[in-house]
Amino acid sequence: MSWFSRILGARSTPGVALTARQEQLLGGWQQLPDADLRRSHYRCRYVVIDVEASSGDPDTARLLAIAAVAVVDGQVSFQDAWRLVLEGQAAGVNPAPSADVAATGSQAGSPLADELISFLAFVGKAPMVAYNARFVRRLLQRTLAEHLGLRLRLPWLDLAWILPDLFREFDAGPERLDAWLDHFGITSIRRHEALSDAFATAQLMQIAVAHAARKGVDTPASLRELEKARRHMHQSA
Amino acid sequence: MSTSAVDTLISACIRFLQAYPPFEQMEAAALRFLAERVRLQHYPKGARILSTEMGVAPALYIIHRGRVRAKSTVGLGSGETTSSTLGPGQAFAIGALMAQRPTFGSYEAVDEVFCYELPADDFFALTQKSSAFNLFCTQHIAGLLKQSQQQLQLQFAQRAAEQKTMNSPLAAVVKREAVAVPTTAAIREVVELMAERHLGSMVVVDEQEVPVGIFTLSDVLKRIVLPGASLAQPIASVMSPAPATLPLAANAHDAALLMAMRGIRHVLAVDEGGRLRGVVSERDLFKLQGAGLRQIRHAIDAANSVEVLQHARRDVRQLSLTMLAEGVGAAEITQFISTLNDTVTRRIIELNLERHDLYGIDWAWLSFGSEGRDEQTFTTDQDNGIVFICTDIMDRELTQLRFLDFARDVNADLDRCGFPLCKGNIMASNPDLCLTLEEWEERFARWVRMPEPQALLNATIFFDFRPLFGRFNLAHRLRLELFRQTRGNPLFLRMLAENALSVAPPLGRIRDFVTSTDPEHPGTIDLKTYGVRLFTDAARVFAMANAVEATNTVHRLRRAGAVMNIGTDDLAASIEGFNFIQLLRLRHQHFEQEHGRPGDNLIRPDDLNEIERRVLKEAFRQARKLQARLKLDYQL
Repeated sequence: MSWFSRILGARSTPGVALTARQEQLLGGWQQLPDADLRRSHYRCRYVVIDVEASSGDPDTARLLAIAAVAVVDGQVSFQDAWRLVLEGQAAGVNPAPSADVAATGSQAGSPLADELISFLAFVGKAPMVAYNARFVRRLLQRTLAEHLGLRLRLPWLDLAWILPDLFREFDAGPERLDAWLDHFGITSIRRHEALSDAFATAQLMQIAVAHAARKGVDTPASLRELEKARRHMHQSA
Repeated sequence: MSTSAVDTLISACIRFLQAYPPFEQMEAAALRFLAERVRLQHYPKGARILSTEMGVAPALYIIHRGRVRAKSTVGLGSGETTSSTLGPGQAFAIGALMAQRPTFGSYEAVDEVFCYELPADDFFALTQKSSAFNLFCTQHIAGLLKQSQQQLQLQFAQRAAEQKTMNSPLAAVVKREAVAVPTTAAIREVVELMAERHLGSMVVVDEQEVPVGIFTLSDVLKRIVLPGASLAQPIASVMSPAPATLPLAANAHDAALLMAMRGIRHVLAVDEGGRLRGVVSERDLFKLQGAGLRQIRHAIDAANSVEVLQHARRDVRQLSLTMLAEGVGAAEITQFISTLNDTVTRRIIELNLERHDLYGIDWAWLSFGSEGRDEQTFTTDQDNGIVFICTDIMDRELTQLRFLDFARDVNADLDRCGFPLCKGNIMASNPDLCLTLEEWEERFARWVRMPEPQALLNATIFFDFRPLFGRFNLAHRLRLELFRQTRGNPLFLRMLAENALSVAPPLGRIRDFVTSTDPEHPGTIDLKTYGVRLFTDAARVFAMANAVEATNTVHRLRRAGAVMNIGTDDLAASIEGFNFIQLLRLRHQHFEQEHGRPGDNLIRPDDLNEIERRVLKEAFRQARKLQARLKLDYQL
């Protein structure tokens, strides 16, 4: 275990063994400056995330796949995408877990640790976007804590909250990603596969920022405010 | 970044593109190159994707989803727009990208639109990589330019139609509603009606409105007054039966022909049922012809003041524009302009002769340069001189003064009639260009003997002389003397050939055309210096070497070419090339002047369509061939 990551105090779950190289990479990621959330949508980088999991409960589900597609300056470049499919997990096909992720991950220098560090490197400190972000965030936080001993504290944006506020005339229901994709005619390459869904969600994000910008909600920070206000209103109602 | 993710997204993009032309025909590697470099961009409903104000088109846009409304401005300055809707798989801004200019129209998202955008640099790389894509872009542009050209022709056609020609159908010629009476109407009634409405003729129709006769004012005298016919008689008894009729679809020309054949002054226009629809009189047709060639000539010949000639000169312009619009060839138009300009000039000379007594002196008015070659375009200034015979050397000074006085007036009048004074003072009022035959001969001989740069330049202007007025045989004598000189001085022709080779056709090794580096006119070619001159200079050498008297470039090429054993096909190709460049000049000058600018000769090859560019390239190749012949003949 490397001393400097402790000094930086990022590792909240001690006891996870990482190689020196992994510690170094993780330290490098942690030193990245936080993203400036006050820049325009069209001058910043969002990372749209989707995951596949063994069940719908983020506290017990096993992570099967992670995919991320970046939206940079409002654009999606196919070169700017990341995916991890855990061994033996055919995307969206086999819901039964066949590999013990936790067990693999607890070994020092595990391949999964490398993958997760590569994921963090891809994300950087960019605000993360997901549809139904609470589930994705919990699952990722748990996985990152288990394998890297890291508490992920990045800003999250949830399209499941943002879209209904921007398109009030359309009621897709709280968790209906399909309904939104249909509404905007976005075809998924392969539905329920993490990368396809991340790409489709990235397109929803493009639509969302364009319409948000028209309403004066033109930065990640103001988009977060919009989400917060809606959550507050609906959860307190 | 993970390769598997990138690959998945790129493959999906490739699959999408493969459903649409031209991508479905693109090479796999090129398609992958495209998919790797595009970025997916979203435009909300109503957003402007690309428009002229955004400057040079930054990317190629391929619609992934949604619809885009493309508005384009058609024609030049017409302000009209056409709009079309583009859907998935369709690409736009190809023309603007290729030309590296802003788009002419605008593109707007009709609904939520996603576009794949390929940055301009990658676009150009792709045109290099993929011949299928390159072909698509080229054809696309050719198509666009064809469209714009059709618009252009339409505009021309409209203008030509506005000044109705003898090709107009009678339906368009007939203006007033036909006044007709039934066969039973009394003569008194008819004559009263004619007097009341100031009609020269009256058509008599049956119950079905079919014309059965015509009665004219001249008939009143011959058939009623002189014979003392009763005014109570029906009109049928005095009308001329079986009037000449033509269907409404017949044209004015047919009507004129019928009138001439039958010696009549009116033709009745009838519809399909034979019913009367209008009357065309000889006078209507006369008006219609308006400023026809014959009328203009007549007007010029009859003009007795400069004011009238100014009018005629405008008519010449108008008519040549109409000819241009109707697709008359450049050779005919330039010849036509020259002929009518000659007529104007002659008339101006005649008018001035009334005030200047030159009686008893042999003299001739000469024109030089393009006028001397019968190759005038819309913008032309004066290039003229006088040759005269002075039998007594003592009178020379005095005679020249008289001619100079006269020439000054002619030059001024020409200026007033739209032939601006020559900036280089190549005008008859210049004492250096108002010379006796011997002086001209001596001067020519000097240039030929000592072909220094200025002499060669002079040769290109003055050796294309042509008599316009006066004793034409003086010009002939001058020509023969010039040939005698050049035959005796082979070096001169060699120098003239070398001079002709000093300007090369603007064909590039890498790019199609070599355009001007002048910062004020970037991307242009001066079609006078780098176009017409290539041909005229070569033709001049050919003509002088083979004692061809003609000054016109086409004539020179034909006659000299025959002597020089140039194949008829080659010759025809050269002449076509020359004429094409002239046509481009005419068209360009016309547009420049339409927009209130002095017509220059600066053509922008990028503005031409694909076909025109190819023809222009070919024209330059023809010029290169002529130059190659010069090199061969003079071992240059």
